[in-house]
Amino acid sequence: MITWMRRNLFRSVTDSLLTVVSATILGIVLVQVFQFVFINGRWEIIQVNLKILLVGRFPDELMYLVGFSILAICFSIASLAGGLERAPNSIQNLPAKLWGLFQRFGLIAATAALLIVLAADFDAVAFGGYVLMSIVAGTLFGRLRRTTALKKLPGWIWVLLNASLPMVLIFITIGQAALEEWGGFLINFYLAVVSITLSFPLGVLLALSRRSSLPLLRWLSTTYIELIRGAPLFVLLLLAGVALEFFIPSSIAPDAIFRAITVFTLFTAAYLAEVIRGGLQSIPKGQAEAGKALGLSTVKITFLITLPQALRNVIPAQIGQFISLFKDTTLAGVALSVFELLNVGSAITKQDDYLGQGLIYETLAFVALLFWVGSYVMSRESQRIEKKLGVGLR
Amino acid sequence: MLAVASAAALFLAGCASTEAEPTTSATTDATTNPDTGADNGSILDSVIAAGVVRCGTRDALPGFAVLNDAGEHVGFDSDFCRVIAAAVLGDATAVEMVDLETADRFTALQSGSIDVLVRNTTWTATRDGSEGATFLQPTFYDGQGMMVTANSGYAKISDMNGAIVCVAKGTTTEGNAALESSRLGLDWEIRSFDETDLILEAFLAGQCDGWSSDVSQLTGLRSAYPDGSAALTILPEVFSKEPLAPAVLDGDTAWAQAVNWAVLATIQAEEFGITSANVDSIRSSTEDVGILRFLGAEVPGSEGAAILDPNLSLPTDFAYQVVKQVGNYGEIFARNLTPLGLERGLNSLWNDGGILYAPPYR
Amino acid sequence: MSPQLSTPPKVPFFRDTRTLKWVFQIAALLAVFALLYWLYGNYQENVAKSSIQTDLRFLDNPAYFTIPGSDLDQSQPVRDAFVVGFLNTLRVAIIGVALATVLGTLVGIARLSKNFMVRTLGTVYVELVRNLPLLLLLTFMNLAVVLQTFPRIENAWLPLDLFVISNRGIAIPWFIGSSTQLVIGILSAALLAFVVARIRIKRADITGKQDRAWLYGILTFLALVVLIWLLFGYGWELPYVDGRGTTGGLRLDPSFFALLASLVIYTSSHIAEIVRGSILAVPRGQGEAADAIALSSSQKMRLVILPQAFRIAMPALGNQYLNLIKNSSLGATISYFELTQIAQITVGNGSPAVPAFSLTLLVYLAISLVTSLVVNYFNRKLALVER
Repeated sequence: MITWMRRNLFRSVTDSLLTVVSATILGIVLVQVFQFVFINGRWEIIQVNLKILLVGRFPDELMYLVGFSILAICFSIASLAGGLERAPNSIQNLPAKLWGLFQRFGLIAATAALLIVLAADFDAVAFGGYVLMSIVAGTLFGRLRRTTALKKLPGWIWVLLNASLPMVLIFITIGQAALEEWGGFLINFYLAVVSITLSFPLGVLLALSRRSSLPLLRWLSTTYIELIRGAPLFVLLLLAGVALEFFIPSSIAPDAIFRAITVFTLFTAAYLAEVIRGGLQSIPKGQAEAGKALGLSTVKITFLITLPQALRNVIPAQIGQFISLFKDTTLAGVALSVFELLNVGSAITKQDDYLGQGLIYETLAFVALLFWVGSYVMSRESQRIEKKLGVGLR
Repeated sequence: MLAVASAAALFLAGCASTEAEPTTSATTDATTNPDTGADNGSILDSVIAAGVVRCGTRDALPGFAVLNDAGEHVGFDSDFCRVIAAAVLGDATAVEMVDLETADRFTALQSGSIDVLVRNTTWTATRDGSEGATFLQPTFYDGQGMMVTANSGYAKISDMNGAIVCVAKGTTTEGNAALESSRLGLDWEIRSFDETDLILEAFLAGQCDGWSSDVSQLTGLRSAYPDGSAALTILPEVFSKEPLAPAVLDGDTAWAQAVNWAVLATIQAEEFGITSANVDSIRSSTEDVGILRFLGAEVPGSEGAAILDPNLSLPTDFAYQVVKQVGNYGEIFARNLTPLGLERGLNSLWNDGGILYAPPYR
Repeated sequence: MSPQLSTPPKVPFFRDTRTLKWVFQIAALLAVFALLYWLYGNYQENVAKSSIQTDLRFLDNPAYFTIPGSDLDQSQPVRDAFVVGFLNTLRVAIIGVALATVLGTLVGIARLSKNFMVRTLGTVYVELVRNLPLLLLLTFMNLAVVLQTFPRIENAWLPLDLFVISNRGIAIPWFIGSSTQLVIGILSAALLAFVVARIRIKRADITGKQDRAWLYGILTFLALVVLIWLLFGYGWELPYVDGRGTTGGLRLDPSFFALLASLVIYTSSHIAEIVRGSILAVPRGQGEAADAIALSSSQKMRLVILPQAFRIAMPALGNQYLNLIKNSSLGATISYFELTQIAQITVGNGSPAVPAFSLTLLVYLAISLVTSLVVNYFNRKLALVER
């Protein structure tokens, strides 16, 4: 212990000085944070407005749909994980496995627990229990696939089966509760997921065009990518906010969410294109040449050989792009007045009961917590995937 | 893994693109009109066909337009949206309130996303000319004023030398404040923000010495503030004319006239002394031909022919519907603005010291 | 037997890959142009319905607003306002890039320190800031720090009696005198200092003694600056609270401060990661060789590792600089009068939206291109010439 301290903290005089200074800074910060969170913080505003922060002005009577969607998503993810992941002779004993799971999902679980504590009613605790049950059920269901005859089902049907339940529920939710009423953290997530999914085909198209041997295509895609990459996202959102309706026939009145999704999609597609292009460049030429030797056409080579490998190689970078987009959804709140989490956080401090009391610290801390946990967990998962795939090591 | 990603992508792509439809159609399910929009047919026709008036408004200005607990718009401007619906469609609830930000209120009108803009918007020459809008009978004659904290020590505007004044971006208040500052030689530093929320934050923290906006807005905001009238003072001077009027798109006379007369009906009704409470009894018992014409009473014995049909493309009993379902000008004012402490002032009838004067209905 | 030269069978032109390629390209181009034409058509149609302008004539209209911190009169044309906004953007961009690089490098090196405390501090900083949205940081800086924490002007903080800190801005002591003269003076002093340093290095190469070029250079620079100061009679001006504002000194707009602080903190966390990665990417042999010739730890960092690390980091750093410049557009949300704020205000005042915002986008594009060119230039100069 002493040796460790000597080596790491007190190597020399300057070193010791640095240690003292940094320890003091860390100490002060930690004490302040502790005092803020547990002693001085007036968290009532968060507790009262928890629903608005998380789902906006979602109609109360339809909240069960959100609940069911979450349960369905947990179930599907758990069963996909249980079913696809081939665990060979698991020599890890249960405690070690649990520790591994804790490391991976501990933060999310802790945040969920915090939300339940803040909600402070029995329904929230019950819901937490339901989520746990659905995760367990999902894992068991996934195991079923590996052990029973369902093994014979091709992978994509299994995926479709699992994905269909949450999809159906999400469809129903959207149908019942108009998107204008969604808000809070839910809408940040929704914007990010929909935008990145829609931007994917466009991004692939742009990347392929930029690397194509056809000069016109290359020119078109390069112009688009460079134009978008030189433009600030905020200004694009502002432009869409006032000008999008001019570019479509006047019978459609775009609402803020539509505008946001349009801009985010077009914007992310350009960045994704660069990421995918990097991936394509990293594939050795031999792969394409082997494809040619087999007599495959260029299109087939691209879609069967090069592109899948390229996409797999840049999964971490794609996840990085998603995290970026997830954080950028806050811009939709200021540019288009979408009722997203940060916007809600600033707005609730102006409610009659809380105006002028300086509660902005508490609300911003809560908003920061949610965003931080989301981004941190996603980036850690992407690092894990990177390690698993052995990207860059081969 | 890739299969998962692509399947999810396809699914979400499919569902997201149809999701875009429900949202847009939820707000515009009525405007399935082919091309009438605005090239050849009038907006009036498309509104009647759609059965709903799309009214551009806002959702957080006390007194003019706020959302109540049930999610309905309540306020002076909201009531005038209902007035237009009652006149054109006979049903004051046939309104679709479209909340707009200051930045896109005119572009929404220009692009046809809304039929009429009733959003405490000032009528100016530039807006008439370069925003493609036609302004109608002003509903509220306002002025621009300045609000300061009670303990700031300012008693009049000329005291505020070198002050920091906060305004909302992209409104007439900005230009007027700049003009006023240079006119009085006061060297103000004018900071402009996107939304009133941000101005409120800066004002409360002491970053702004004064908050300049329409006096009606300031009164409404002051009423929502914790110890409103004690803590905040609205300085007595008013330094610009701010007639707040509804606006429609240029080039559509039929619609413009319809909206105009709907608004004028409320003023005329107050002049006649007709309220929502007594309109029925007046209509059945009065002998005054003027009132009978106004309320669209029918010629006795002729099935349904009104005494006067001025061919305004409005149903002949539009005034009756307006007063019955929403009220006359005085009622609308009393319901929404008097609780804030706003006096009628200029907004009284012409024969009562104000400048509200409806042309005769004949 | 003579070999027969057989010509390949002639492929009909509609199956020839060359024609097909061109047909496909032209079809794609036509499709894109058709889409653009449809969009443009919609735009023209919608605009004609509402009689608003679509060209750049709005730039000549009077602005009708003033800009804090500049003497723009509200009757001056909109284009002047845009120029002021552009300059404000440049100001926050240049200072932001400089500060962020310095802070980011320090934190990046700190993350690799052998000292556990310093390392932890660096890691906490980077991991905390990297995962937060910039807008959140900006809102925090503006609402929580500037508006809540900084005192009102009546109770302004007066650290060392030199500064005045309140939620109306930070006033710092400033010089009295012509600023252009001073800038020219400083630039020439820097040039002379540079020349002196070069002379020292040349002499050191000949004599073999230590050059201490840095020392000589900085001393020359300081001496010349003081000389210019005294020669041209420059003075100091200390700010003090005067009624509801401050007089004297230079007042930094509170929005400028909030924007700069959040941009620097955010970008420095990314730069720290880049610097850390690039230091780790320098081949181990370099560090070991430096140890072998008994360079001290700071000399090793300064002379061997950092220069090579910067070469590796340059492209990524350039990317972060571009991000910072683009992120400065968020200043519009806190009333800092940079380019986007000006555009928003003029659009609200009646300027046509699409031309105004397109102009803004083009300006940002131009700034990005210039920055890319500069970064690429340095990249090329620093690049290793491989055999």
